[in-house]
Amino acid sequence: MRNLYYMKMMREKYTLRGVISAVGIEENRIRAFNRRNEQYFSFRVLEEGYLGVHFQIGEMGDEEGYARARQNLVLKRPYPFTLETGRRSRDLTQRVLTDKQLLEIAKEALDHVRSRHPDFTLNGGFWQCVSDSGVENDRGLAYSDMDCTTEFRFSFKHRDSRELIDGRFSIGQRDFDAQKLYAMADNYLAGFGTEQKLPDEIIVQMQYYDLLGLLAGSLNAESMCLGTSLLSGRIGEKLFADHFSLAHDVSADECWNTPFFDGEGITRKGDRLSYIENGVVLRGYADKRIAAKYGVEHTGSALRTCSDIPNNGNVNLRIQRSDRTIRGLLNGRLSVVPIRYSGGGFNEKGDWVMPVQLAYLCDGENFLGRLPEFTLVSSMFDMFGKDFIGVGSDNPVFHDKSILVRMRTGKI
Amino acid sequence: MFIFPKNLFTEVRIERNDYVNYYTANDEVESNNQSQTTGALIRVFDGDMWYSGTTNELGRIQEEIDSLASLAKRNSKIYDHPEIRNFGSHKAHIIKYEGEDDVRKITPCQREELVAHYLAVCVDKSVEEMKSYGGTFYSTHTVKEYYSSKGAAIRQDMQRCSVWVGAAFVVEGVTTWGGKNFQAMSFKQLQGREQEIREELDRYLDYARNAVDILPGNYTCVLSPAATALFTHESFGHKSESDYMLGDKTLREEWVLGKKVGSEKVSICDNGNMEHNGYTPYDDEGNVARETWLIRKGVLTGRLHDSESASALEEEVTGNSRADSYEAIPMVRMTNTYMAAGDDDPEEILQGVRDGIYVYDTLYGTGFSTFTMQPGLCYRIREGRICEPLRVNVITGSVFQTLFDIDAVGNDLEIFDTFYCGKNGQTIQVSAGGPTVRVRKLTFN
Repeated sequence: MRNLYYMKMMREKYTLRGVISAVGIEENRIRAFNRRNEQYFSFRVLEEGYLGVHFQIGEMGDEEGYARARQNLVLKRPYPFTLETGRRSRDLTQRVLTDKQLLEIAKEALDHVRSRHPDFTLNGGFWQCVSDSGVENDRGLAYSDMDCTTEFRFSFKHRDSRELIDGRFSIGQRDFDAQKLYAMADNYLAGFGTEQKLPDEIIVQMQYYDLLGLLAGSLNAESMCLGTSLLSGRIGEKLFADHFSLAHDVSADECWNTPFFDGEGITRKGDRLSYIENGVVLRGYADKRIAAKYGVEHTGSALRTCSDIPNNGNVNLRIQRSDRTIRGLLNGRLSVVPIRYSGGGFNEKGDWVMPVQLAYLCDGENFLGRLPEFTLVSSMFDMFGKDFIGVGSDNPVFHDKSILVRMRTGKI
Repeated sequence: MFIFPKNLFTEVRIERNDYVNYYTANDEVESNNQSQTTGALIRVFDGDMWYSGTTNELGRIQEEIDSLASLAKRNSKIYDHPEIRNFGSHKAHIIKYEGEDDVRKITPCQREELVAHYLAVCVDKSVEEMKSYGGTFYSTHTVKEYYSSKGAAIRQDMQRCSVWVGAAFVVEGVTTWGGKNFQAMSFKQLQGREQEIREELDRYLDYARNAVDILPGNYTCVLSPAATALFTHESFGHKSESDYMLGDKTLREEWVLGKKVGSEKVSICDNGNMEHNGYTPYDDEGNVARETWLIRKGVLTGRLHDSESASALEEEVTGNSRADSYEAIPMVRMTNTYMAAGDDDPEEILQGVRDGIYVYDTLYGTGFSTFTMQPGLCYRIREGRICEPLRVNVITGSVFQTLFDIDAVGNDLEIFDTFYCGKNGQTIQVSAGGPTVRVRKLTFN
């Protein structure tokens, strides 16, 4: 649709400010403290249906920023759309640690874990990210989204291991609780010394983000329309399990320094939009440009492209949780938790193969010992279809959601 | 230039980057942008802790130095610290890319015409299975400066430009993306590549039409030079990065210099002086690049170091301390790493396989004890001849065994400049190279 302000110059500015503080742990000792102040600006000038964009790192006044954006109108980037309106502010901050507190917590945590698990070499660190994202324009749009998150990451290596590292774990929190980190460390490190056999039935328990890559790409509305997606022509069909539902979700519980608005200033009702419901594909995702080009539904999925016109692809996909816990879903069976896995992935048919270098046998919450190397085999349609068990209502093992899915083993 | 605080080691690394990105798909421009970034990393070391900060305002560097110094404890013996003794104190000015080949001088019109030309003459739009096609142009130009309280003052530059032309072929609902990606140091080197692009598109179309699923198992395989390049990087390159073994007795014993780690046909080298994707004449600790032979004739002869690892292992620095941007802390990284050419004829290497797999190219890999490679294209070998394309998801092998399983090394060494290497959250440009090699056993799934 041609916008009402087609002839008039309109301005819009995206802002991202971040302060990332990090304590570095190297070979069992605090080795570094790093502080990074980030300020990113994207100045946009919309004139005659074209968008001029200037990307700036570091402070720059509006007058100069918009002047440079106007100069870039020469690149003739078409953008025949109306800018958005709306006002909203969201602050998810619970606690902001000082640099001194970060250093003290990191030292105390390292000492605690080291004293309980002296056979391991620990590397990693303790990060805090304070973020403030915003967008404003001449039509009165004013959104801001603030957050503060911490993450403690450890990679570990047993002193007798010939590996470069044996595994990793991390815990993300808005209000850091050391006891949760200690419980996680005990689970991962105490479980390493016991060797277990791979069970006959492989039920994989893992965070599901790595598994969603191909499905996320397949839901791109442009790929669906071009015929290059595995879901092309399948909207309205039931392709996945009855209890598998997938939605874009930027509500408070599902965000991690992620704003509630997209790269075109669009928000969704309840900060959520379904893509697959009870196994049925409902829609693909499209920003304004893709929606107009292919005549499909506009889903508010523009990336915050700082140096060009918005691009399609901003989805924060979440699988609907079961009302049962992980142990409830396992119903007495044991799970296999891949800890260090790399190198495989999906092929163009949707088949998935993953070599697993370290995995634990688990009762859903507690590790029972480590497993020999193996290779996992599945496919996009199987893992979210006939082999999908569910996403637990609780957050054991990872302090985050985990999926349970049946898989096969391949050649090692 | 800067007032460095006494009794502390201080370094300042400044970067100025110019980026251009142009992408067209199905005759519509999807991206067309150019941007510049400037920033500095400041680090202060007191012999116990490193304190670091970044700024995008170069006028505030001194302020940041003073702020970080206020967190550190003064140490009158800081320059006797073994790690600081290893930091460079060179003064150098190596600006190579400001002349007529400066990629910043490529006009929007030139880059658009180049991509349009390749799409017009290389992409056959009458192919029924082709559902999408596109081309990109990308360039970066970086000027880095390094100053330290040891007196280092280095200014150096680097640039790259690249083109990708590709297409999506859909056969029975399955989409195969394929194309040709090439990178160079100058715009001139990106021209005249029509034949390579056409051949690559034809190869992927053939794959889309005819690929069959592999039967998982162990196979003898022949790696093309491109596949050997990734194999070299993943199977051994990462094990040579010695920051993994600083205080680790087990790894030091496992990788002791002089140990036999592979076939006599295998020699592997890293060299940051080569004008390829990993070109790093001075590293991010101010040390000069050098040629480091990691393996010679199957024997472990060297490893890659930064100042810390060299001091911990009491070896010499090798100029391999690299950060992926001014915002990042440097660590031990590869630069241009390759397996040296052997004496074998590539045709004869292939003819020596009755039943096996030819790995034509690869997408990415990982480098632990079990290393992995995800191939782009593979072919069945029967009676020494390349036959039908195979759909393979992942290739795995053991670093402790596979280098011994190499029984032929070709005389056709090539260096490839489109590699990016990830480690501890940083992604850095490297090149990798190798000749055709034959491996008696790798696992295919």
